[in-house]
Amino acid sequence: MDDDSRAALSNLHPVAGAGNLLPTTDEASSSTGRSVRIEWPTIDGPLGLSHEESLTYARRFFKLGFLFLPFLWAVSCFYFWPVLRHPHSHQSHPRLRRYLVGSAIGFLLFTTVLSSWALTFVVGGERLFGHVWGELVMYNVAEKYGLAGWI
Amino acid sequence: MEQNPRPKTILETCGEEITRIVTPVSICMLSVVILVSVLNRGSSLDDGLEFASMATMAYSESSSDSIWDKLKGALLNSLVFVAVVTAATFLMVLLFYLKCTKFLKYYMAFSSLLVLGFMGGEIAIFLIKASSFPIDCFTFAVALYNFTVVGVMAVFMSRMAIFITQAYLVVIGVLVAYWFTLLPEWTTWGLLVAMSLYDLAAVLLPGGPLRLLVELAMDRDEDIPALVYEARPVISDAGLGDGVVRRRVWREGRGDFDENQRLRSDRVPDSSLRSYLYGESESERNIVDAENGRALGGDSELAAPLMQHINIRMNSLENAASSDNLALEGIGLGSSGAIKLGLGDFIFYSVLVGRAAMYDFMTVYACYLAVIAGLVLQKTDNCGMAMHRLKFQYGMEQSNLRKLRVKTVELLLALRVPLRR
Repeated sequence: MDDDSRAALSNLHPVAGAGNLLPTTDEASSSTGRSVRIEWPTIDGPLGLSHEESLTYARRFFKLGFLFLPFLWAVSCFYFWPVLRHPHSHQSHPRLRRYLVGSAIGFLLFTTVLSSWALTFVVGGERLFGHVWGELVMYNVAEKYGLAGWI
Repeated sequence: MEQNPRPKTILETCGEEITRIVTPVSICMLSVVILVSVLNRGSSLDDGLEFASMATMAYSESSSDSIWDKLKGALLNSLVFVAVVTAATFLMVLLFYLKCTKFLKYYMAFSSLLVLGFMGGEIAIFLIKASSFPIDCFTFAVALYNFTVVGVMAVFMSRMAIFITQAYLVVIGVLVAYWFTLLPEWTTWGLLVAMSLYDLAAVLLPGGPLRLLVELAMDRDEDIPALVYEARPVISDAGLGDGVVRRRVWREGRGDFDENQRLRSDRVPDSSLRSYLYGESESERNIVDAENGRALGGDSELAAPLMQHINIRMNSLENAASSDNLALEGIGLGSSGAIKLGLGDFIFYSVLVGRAAMYDFMTVYACYLAVIAGLVLQKTDNCGMAMHRLKFQYGMEQSNLRKLRVKTVELLLALRVPLRR
């Protein structure tokens, strides 16, 4: 009768039927003191994705990020910040977290490599690169190929 | 999350909503002004540059012409531009009629790719040249590629953080507006006036393409793929006694039935008021969508905002909502739909202010004040009307709700379902 009643109630009430969107009793967070229960996995809170969709999106962002898109990884970390921030909460989504941590690591690695190259370029200048510097710097490249004029 | 926040007054809610739309418009205008002053292009003194574009096809202005010639030339340019935009809009209506919505979406994505990639790249190159910033081409290429791809994804392809989407929409507005300020002076003014008139005609006349588009979208209950800036809705959970935060859906299209069926059922018991408001802002949005449903990348919309309230489906929405409304927890009072503003409006205002920046900063300030005043008045008017309907509806809904609640309890009792454990 218990299940039947709950099923009947959830059939009548569309919101309750949508699974984990209603907060259940907070056993986990009350026992683990400071850890917060994540209600919403995205930074947008109630306007963002649900828990199920988040996994799909996180996976998609992670995989697409391998196409030289570290910014996408950064955006993914930003978007799912609550999951990243509270690793030990009630609905911690280990799979989601794995993708997020992967994205974060990828972003940091890529940024380190790219910024070290850019800084070398800026600081080294002509002394380090010789005449190649003049050929690589953006404003000369733009002049050479006339990129600035065809708007 | 607060359990029982102090219920917001109508004034606060309205004010907050308006602020959430005035801020990005201001940011857009400010960015264009900064770009114009830094890059200092296209001023009336600098006529040495050959700026060939679609907007100057008919007549390229030069400073040596007399005023009458310039006027005629500007008029000719504007006519040509409006003609092209009309043709493009009719094409869009045709495609929408033939249900090629996917194609339209991809086309929109492609045009935002063009705007972000090419125009963004060009403006970045201008900035780099102006400041002699020693960035190398690889880093620049990677950065631009990232920026563009994530931008296209944010705006059209997938769900992303609201902040990112809004930021990219503002950036697109800035880029297109800056492009328009590069046009010769008289042509710009001519274009602004012509586009305003065209918009009036296209929306109000019975044969106008925008009106057709909106009617088609309404008939089919579909979304026009378009660039619309949506602010976050002001969520006030005043009516929710036990602190339940329902999941609102942001940028929820009415036509996406497959994935959003469940989400729609989430939304409906939230409040029939809210779906009422959604219906209203959908109508606004449809108008505004229609204004911006045209392709970007050249035929950009310099549309004057026309917020008409077409009372579509108000009654049907209301009936559907109240019959579905099994909100045992009550209505979220004051939770309103998101406030929307088409990107064409952003671009229009920014072009105006950007042009003014080529003369004098006091002109800029005056234009800015005028634009903001108009926007706020318009939005307050919308808000006020919405709130008025809300109050009226709320009264009716209370009695409906009571009846429903009674009926539900009776039903549950009849099924011998225990209501409380």
